[in-house]
Amino acid sequence: MKRILIADDKSTGRELVRTILENDGYEVHEAVDGPHAVEQARSLRPHLVILDLHMPGMDGFSVVATLRQEPAFSSTPILALTASAMMGDRERALGAGFTGYCTKPIRLAALRAEIVRLLKEEPT
Amino acid sequence: MLEPMEDRFRELLEAAPDAIIQVDAEGRILLLNRVTEELFGYTRDELLGQPVEMLVPTAQRAGHVAHRSAYAHRPSTRPMGAKMRLDGMRKDGSCFPVEISLSPGGANNDFRVMAIIRDVTERNAMQQEYTRQLEERNQAIERANRLKSEFLASMSHELRTPLHTIIGFSELLSEELQGPLNEKQKRFVGHIHKDSLHLLELINDILDLSKIESGHLTLRREAFDFATVVKESLSTVRGLADAKQHVIETKIDVPNAIVADRLRLKQILVNFLSNAVKFTPDQGSIRVEACTRTGIVEVSVSDTGIGIPPAEQALIFDKFHQVGATTKGVREGTGLGLAITRHLVEAHGGAITLESTPGKGSRFTFTIPLKS
Repeated sequence: MKRILIADDKSTGRELVRTILENDGYEVHEAVDGPHAVEQARSLRPHLVILDLHMPGMDGFSVVATLRQEPAFSSTPILALTASAMMGDRERALGAGFTGYCTKPIRLAALRAEIVRLLKEEPT
Repeated sequence: MLEPMEDRFRELLEAAPDAIIQVDAEGRILLLNRVTEELFGYTRDELLGQPVEMLVPTAQRAGHVAHRSAYAHRPSTRPMGAKMRLDGMRKDGSCFPVEISLSPGGANNDFRVMAIIRDVTERNAMQQEYTRQLEERNQAIERANRLKSEFLASMSHELRTPLHTIIGFSELLSEELQGPLNEKQKRFVGHIHKDSLHLLELINDILDLSKIESGHLTLRREAFDFATVVKESLSTVRGLADAKQHVIETKIDVPNAIVADRLRLKQILVNFLSNAVKFTPDQGSIRVEACTRTGIVEVSVSDTGIGIPPAEQALIFDKFHQVGATTKGVREGTGLGLAITRHLVEAHGGAITLESTPGKGSRFTFTIPLKS
């Protein structure tokens, strides 16, 4: 079973994504903020990480920067899930080390397709 | 008894608000008025017969002698040292900014130059103050603009965050993966889902319009195939059009790639198409045509819908305007679509036109340059 780590400071946001992913048969783990996400990623070695960009303390960009420095996470797919939908946000995220970008509010079909795409690309 | 002529000229000279001096071919001061004394702090006797360079700052005296002889070779009435900062020097050694006009005078062998010297200390100070105020105002405007952008970005973020869970959970519920819903529950969840999507559309439109109005809309131009964008746009309205049994015809004759903002062009097309589908009764028909003419693409979307009364035709591109009575209850849009669409077309350097007959249909046409 593929492990997915989701980090979002909002519990409702985490529950939503967790429900969608569990329905689709993934093993889901949660992180409540940036440092927690880094810690969880290191101990769980997830197949995919989904990060909210805006989290207090350590945001999604810092988490990506930290993880990408570690060999274990050099090619792990990391999806940005964010309510930032301004022009240029997507490019900024992809340039910062994210491999995918979905905006909130998510549409279930779009999120599922993106996750399938990212997990396929992951080298096994 | 007539006043002697010289007295009258003297009176004129003394009444002038500027310092006036006359120098001979060697640059010696021949004549001066009282303002000269006041301005430079010398008495008339201290100045008469002295080289005019004593009124010039020490560092510029040598240069002044050279300028003076150059002027003697090509005399004319003109300002001295145009676009240069000129200074005068007082008896006490202090300097002040001046503006000087020169006029030649005297006969060939008796060359004289008249100089009118104005102290511009106050005027310069005023100009500096004015410039400073302008800069301050510019900075305030820039700051306000930046704050507005930041506000828009954070507003967008704050509004989308709760909508994320409303839309997501209602979509999840309607999938019934957590257990079956009865008919009423299904309908209620459907209402929540549909209206939350509408709210999202409103937020997107308002943000678009704010970006446009604050000049923050930037087009990302790229070369692409126009027909592909038409296909993609059609696919977003296909569901509703099929439900209303609309016949959609296309006639696209745009052979070469065009250069424009692909996403925005699609937004324009989707807006026209969804309006056409929305306002055309069941079994109506919709036609998309595009052709190139000298340097432009002309695109039109026609429908056999309810049409727009002549009085409203000029208004429908305004914000929040919706064709009132004639929409027969079709009011699910935001009322911003056409306003945004017009801005997007104009941002590309194109134009929008509309022909419509109530009861017969409408035809929206827009042009954009092939390489906008």
